[in-house]
Amino acid sequence: MGASAPVTMANREAAGDLRHSCRESGDNCVVSCFLENFLTSRSVIASIIFAVVCGLAATFDFARVPAEKFPESTWTGWAIQDFLSAKSAPDVVFLGSSLVLVPVAGVDANFLNRRLDGSQHHQSAYFESRLKAKTGRAVRSFNFALPGEMPSDAYLITDFLLNRENKPKVVVYGLGPRDFMDNLLPNPGATDPYRSLIRFGDVSSMIDRMTPDWIDRLNFNISRTFYLYGLKQDLVAEWVQLASKQLSGLMPVPAGAKPYSVEQRRMLLPDYRPAELNRAEAYFRPSKAEHFADNLAEYKKRYAHVKWDTFTSQMRFFAELLDICQQRGIQVVIVSMPITDLNRSLIKDYSWEAYRKSVHVLSTVKGATFVDLQGTKTFNVSDFMDTVHLHSGGGKKMLDLVVEQMAQDKAVRTALELPELDNGSKNRSASSQSIPEKRVADAGRSAL
Amino acid sequence: MLFNSLQYLVFLPTVFVLFWITPHRFRVPLLLVASYVFYMSWRPIYGLLIFGLTLGNFLLVPLIAKATEQKDKKWWLGVVVAANLITLGIFKYATFSLITVKDTLNLFGVQFREPHLHIILPLGISFFVFEFIHYAVEVYRGKPLVKKFFDFALFASFFPTQIAGPIKRYQDFIPQLDIPAKFKWQYLDEGMQLILMGLFKKVLIADNLALVSQAGFSHPGNFSSLDLWLITYAFAFQIFFDFAGYTDIARGSALLFGYKVPINFNLPYIASNVADFWHRWHISLSTWLRDYLFIPLGGSRCSQWKMYRNLFITMTLGGLWHGAAMHFLVWGAYQGILLIAHREYSRLLEKSGLAKSLLQSKIYHAVSVVVTFHFVCIGWVFFRAENMQDACAIISQLVQAPAALLHFSMQQLSVLQIRDPIVFPALLIILPILMIAQPVVNWLNDKRFYLSPPWALQVGVMVALMCLLTIFSPDSSPRFIYFQF
Repeated sequence: MGASAPVTMANREAAGDLRHSCRESGDNCVVSCFLENFLTSRSVIASIIFAVVCGLAATFDFARVPAEKFPESTWTGWAIQDFLSAKSAPDVVFLGSSLVLVPVAGVDANFLNRRLDGSQHHQSAYFESRLKAKTGRAVRSFNFALPGEMPSDAYLITDFLLNRENKPKVVVYGLGPRDFMDNLLPNPGATDPYRSLIRFGDVSSMIDRMTPDWIDRLNFNISRTFYLYGLKQDLVAEWVQLASKQLSGLMPVPAGAKPYSVEQRRMLLPDYRPAELNRAEAYFRPSKAEHFADNLAEYKKRYAHVKWDTFTSQMRFFAELLDICQQRGIQVVIVSMPITDLNRSLIKDYSWEAYRKSVHVLSTVKGATFVDLQGTKTFNVSDFMDTVHLHSGGGKKMLDLVVEQMAQDKAVRTALELPELDNGSKNRSASSQSIPEKRVADAGRSAL
Repeated sequence: MLFNSLQYLVFLPTVFVLFWITPHRFRVPLLLVASYVFYMSWRPIYGLLIFGLTLGNFLLVPLIAKATEQKDKKWWLGVVVAANLITLGIFKYATFSLITVKDTLNLFGVQFREPHLHIILPLGISFFVFEFIHYAVEVYRGKPLVKKFFDFALFASFFPTQIAGPIKRYQDFIPQLDIPAKFKWQYLDEGMQLILMGLFKKVLIADNLALVSQAGFSHPGNFSSLDLWLITYAFAFQIFFDFAGYTDIARGSALLFGYKVPINFNLPYIASNVADFWHRWHISLSTWLRDYLFIPLGGSRCSQWKMYRNLFITMTLGGLWHGAAMHFLVWGAYQGILLIAHREYSRLLEKSGLAKSLLQSKIYHAVSVVVTFHFVCIGWVFFRAENMQDACAIISQLVQAPAALLHFSMQQLSVLQIRDPIVFPALLIILPILMIAQPVVNWLNDKRFYLSPPWALQVGVMVALMCLLTIFSPDSSPRFIYFQF
């Protein structure tokens, strides 16, 4: 707030008063001028002290909080906390975007006949029940499908979380075309899951793919170099918590008045904490009839001008996810999720073919089980709540088909420690049989 | 490129180092290139606009100087000023004018569908057009021409002041370019201090208060009249710290190269009347309006009625300069009316023969400051409201505050019910601190504290600011309010 005298014609001398007349001359001048005041420069000393403060803070792990203590409650945060707090690893983990999350949770609301808190419900009770009925084996599932989850996010979940004592036997990964060709996403590092997941591992080896923009990479590198900058979200959260506590004493909510709910606050400030999800805020409710919502306008934007950089980058993360699972002995079931013809018609044929073939080929080459629900033509528009998301009825159909194929798949049965089936012809999924093995392998190698 | 972005964190030190290792004769071209890179990082095509205007003014203004007859000088001045204003008008006011024509015709029952122009306002155009007009008028008044094109081009495009001022005077700026300066740590120290302080004002104060004004001005119906006063105060400080923060960063950035640019603010909320406020608020604009609009209109050397007319026109056009919208126009007119009312009030006081001791008493001064602040705040409602309808609704709520105070209870304050973000309940602590801080800083200024604060204190403040800004820097960089103008 300090003010100094304005620079006008009247005090032109003042404008020039910073001009320096050096005592030295010639080449010595530059060096001597530079060094003359170096050790008394306030900004130099302040920068050195700041660097020392950062170094000391890093040395003593100042204010570091556990990775799972998130500064903000989000879908991802709730899922990770729930996953890590389990006593043992689940047998089956679901991965995917809302294409998987919505029908799987919706089916459970109907199946359990009660509303389910989206922040707390991370299993598929219906899937567990169907699989038990089909195979006689009780399994525990965990639904790690998250809104907006991209293959890059699924890769981070797999790499950072599905390991050691948390390693599942089977991963069921539902994929849709949006996962590879979403124009609205600037880069893989722009998702909400990414922000939460990078707390659990080092992404520096893949940072050029996660954040292709140089400024994002610079931001990442600064956060690694300067301890306080890297920890800023946690520090701010801690500070806000502390300040809130103090304010509750100094400026309490007036007697007889109620604090604003999250919905009220969201109405006033729609852009504040866009990824926030609180407990008891998003429910999946039992329902029979679903209203169909037309979301074509949104998907027109998503699919317009496919960015092939994004496509190949996400496809590479997908391939690497399959590699990691293979290395860790996790059997992957890839589910090609159905979408409506309305939505499909927005995608150019060559983009659609590239998506379909790449997913199929990679799944087969990497030893995953491929369940092609898009190709079955079992689903029609009445199974959907909008042009891409299955409603609970469609979800039930989807899980029935997935369980059916998993129960017959040799690799899945082995992973789940189920006895082998007598009929050898049923050991492969139907769609895998449709492409000759050699052709798939060749195509897979060229795709990679 | 925003001052509060990582891009600028890379850009500024790069230009700084290049500048000081470059021989003096290449420094102006270097800064010119840097300034165009800075400008074109937003929309490359608009680099042509600023270049075209620069070239046009550089070629046309000498014709004013060369003209021997006064009427020729005037004619050429008219051409230059009109060319600049037409350019500004096309980019800034074309859509607004068409909408106003449509609304007016609709009033008379004439249906008119205005064409959609799809014009994107070039950043900083209001600022550099005003600098060009200032140059033309000064040359017309007999001041020397700028001989070197690069100097002139840098005057208009100098990146620290390019987007939102301060509006420079060429007589102050151009001579600085000729001085073959050697690097001095003092530039870095003073520049860094200003930049850190500017970022502090923007990131920690203005951006937090922005949440309050955003909620309040977009949903005024959700708040009581007392809440709306708090929200209006919050906006008053938001816009001050936002713009003052920007100006500090601009001045600090310029200082890194050894250049001084004018200040824009001098504790505006301790002004004891509206005229005083305009001597302290956006000083480079208010002095421009005085020199190139108010005085040419006749200034105060005319009849009282004409002087009031001149004041009103100056302030109304000053309001319209901020944006092509009716609420800015009304805000400007309101300021004009306040200035006229203040003059009348002063005249009445003089006539009434009230004791001088009373007028000069501290109590009278304090009351004047408080009253002025509230008049200014009412003006901010017009400035910030999304449209005139909202502004009127908020003002009608604000005037009910005295009645609400008679039956005051804490339950009337909805801001206390919003616990997240915490800036809402904290308003009752933050606002008094910000209000008290202004006279305290003024007192420190009087004591000349800022001329020689202890060395250790300066370093301590810099380290504290570095830590705070590191921790509280936002993930995305909100724009400065004055970028839209």
